[in-house]
Amino acid sequence: MSTLVPRRARRRPRPALWALLLPFVVMFALFFIAPIIYALVQSMFATKSSGLGLGRPETVFVFFDNYARALSDATFVESLGRLLLFSAILVPLMVITALGLALLLDSGRAWGGKFFRVLYFAPYGVPGVVATLLWGFLYVPATSPVLQMLQGIGVSINPLSGDNVLFAIANIALWGFAGYNMIILISALHAIPSELYEAARVDGASAWSIIWSIKLPLVRPSLILVTVFTVIGTLQLFVEPLVLRPLTTAISSTFTPNLAAYNQAFAQGNPNLAAAMAVIVAVLGFAFSFGFLRLVNRKGNRAW
Amino acid sequence: MNQPQRRRRVLSAVAIGAAGALALSGCAADAEGSSDGPVEITFQSWVPNIDQVVDAFNEEHDDIHVTLETITAGPDGGYAKMLSAVQAGNPADVAQIGYDSIPDFLVNDALEDITDYVGDSADDFVPWQWETGVFDDRVYAVPQASGPLGQFYRKDIFDSLGLAYPTTWDEYYEAAKVIRASDPNRYIAAFAFNQAPWMIGLAQQGGANWFDTEDDGWVVDIDGDATISVAEYWQKLIDEDLVKIEADFSSEWNADIQNGNVVTWISGSWADAILRGTAPDTAGSWAVGPVPQWNAGDNVSATWAGGSASVVLKGSKNPEAAAEFALWMNSEPASVDILTSVGAGWPAIADTSGVASLQEDPEVFAFYGGQDIWDVFAESDAAVDTSWKWPPLASTLFASLTDNVKAAVDAGTPIADAYRKTQSDVVKALEERGITVK
Repeated sequence: MSTLVPRRARRRPRPALWALLLPFVVMFALFFIAPIIYALVQSMFATKSSGLGLGRPETVFVFFDNYARALSDATFVESLGRLLLFSAILVPLMVITALGLALLLDSGRAWGGKFFRVLYFAPYGVPGVVATLLWGFLYVPATSPVLQMLQGIGVSINPLSGDNVLFAIANIALWGFAGYNMIILISALHAIPSELYEAARVDGASAWSIIWSIKLPLVRPSLILVTVFTVIGTLQLFVEPLVLRPLTTAISSTFTPNLAAYNQAFAQGNPNLAAAMAVIVAVLGFAFSFGFLRLVNRKGNRAW
Repeated sequence: MNQPQRRRRVLSAVAIGAAGALALSGCAADAEGSSDGPVEITFQSWVPNIDQVVDAFNEEHDDIHVTLETITAGPDGGYAKMLSAVQAGNPADVAQIGYDSIPDFLVNDALEDITDYVGDSADDFVPWQWETGVFDDRVYAVPQASGPLGQFYRKDIFDSLGLAYPTTWDEYYEAAKVIRASDPNRYIAAFAFNQAPWMIGLAQQGGANWFDTEDDGWVVDIDGDATISVAEYWQKLIDEDLVKIEADFSSEWNADIQNGNVVTWISGSWADAILRGTAPDTAGSWAVGPVPQWNAGDNVSATWAGGSASVVLKGSKNPEAAAEFALWMNSEPASVDILTSVGAGWPAIADTSGVASLQEDPEVFAFYGGQDIWDVFAESDAAVDTSWKWPPLASTLFASLTDNVKAAVDAGTPIADAYRKTQSDVVKALEERGITVK
């Protein structure tokens, strides 16, 4: 009993607590909860016209019709599949690249560690649209010195062809975010107590076995974090295809679910269908991130 | 409009304004925004340099003051901005929209009926352009300018290859082969898979008429014989590698226009300003001719998705003043002159003799080796098949057409099938919206 009393006392709401929480709660409700509810509500309505469609339209409640419409639209379902494929390409590439760079810079043997840390991180400071525009120039033969040089020696590559375009986009994402993820992993590596290394070396462990048996297990939470961030990031793929779209026949207005939603809302004037599409993407993102977290955090079932 | 009467009103407004200024000279700041001041209206447009027109209007009018709000081009998000502002109840008063989008705005109940304010001015405009804003005898838009098609071409390159100007599509095909053979990087034209208005214009010029009304429903004919034969013609050019598959206005296309790798461009009259801006170093090398004909001796033209108009958005607090500005901007010769010179397009007014920049424009004509290119567009404008109607959901048509043509080009499947797919997409979208399709 004596332990319960102070706990109960702690639970009593205090005015100061609420006063301090209020700004957050209000903003969170206004700019996070409310838009989500609004999107959910919007996704269940539709604008209907009649006859020639030139009269006043009416807004009707259609329940889950917009969801059915989105999921029965072949191009939207294709875009979901494309997203899975893109995740399968980008997530491993991203995690391995970020981890490789972090281990290199953390090894203590690399020359100019601080310089390269900043250098690898620098692309993160370039806004996505600008980065994609830059890469867009490099991907088009008429404007790309690299492709022109390759053509000069008889190698003809079109990074924006239907077969290559996902890799071209993955490359932009990798360029932009690998450095950021690397920083997360480096800070985790720095947090490892140096006694562990000393002990390992005394036991005669090689650099590889230190990585395998000490560094990797101890940065595991950060690796999971990086993976989840990357999965969520790929599900929201939008800026790159939007900017590259005019440059290639391989990117349609429904290339990714977010692009399809944007296109419905801003080009085709159907915000209701767009809301339904956005909710579908959000649910998927939720399911994937939590599914992944559950998978890796199951007790006694750790992959390593 | 009754000109003298309006002048008198303006004069009296000036007189009142002057008297007011005297009385309030000590507290000018207070006078601003008071109900006695000019009516404030806002105008949304994406036409570069259209602020000159707004300035000219404001200079001439003391009772109405227009503020320009520059927005992104309609299809790139401008329309979405206008429509959401209408929904939110605080729209701009006057907005620029394409002829193709007027039904789209009507379907969203976003246009103010301005029949009472501008209905008497119908005769000032080219009939087919005026009609694009009229539904059920109510007027919803004042036409501004259209984009009659012409073919811009590198005359110097045609001359150096000994090519005569292709007046028919057969001659165009032969010219394409000669041009392709002359240089490994050179093509007669870009196949602009991204540009629905371009593809629609070519179909229209081939005799297609995609939309018509019958009783209380739409007849949709995107995959009719005329369209399919146009599609098959371009298929032949693509299959034989005679046209370059590339988006217009892209960085790649800009480079190709600058260095003569793409030597023709079928586009609206306003494209002149774009060409001069994109490739200033090629001044003097270009010329303009009519769109090649399917049957020798014919004179059939089309437009680049119609043209653009000024509308009063639903919810405007001053629809009368807004309509007055829309009408003045698009019919007053001095204003139309500015619009034409900033590249808004071919004027929608019936009598263009008062438009100075169409009579003599040394800077423009010099770029085309001294040619009076406006003669070509005047003829083209008169040869447009004016029965073309735009249905609601034109934006869906545009998106579906470019997506399908892109997919066909990317996968190497027939372009004709892309038009067939677009037909079913558009019919489905209209029906889902509750609109009747026959």
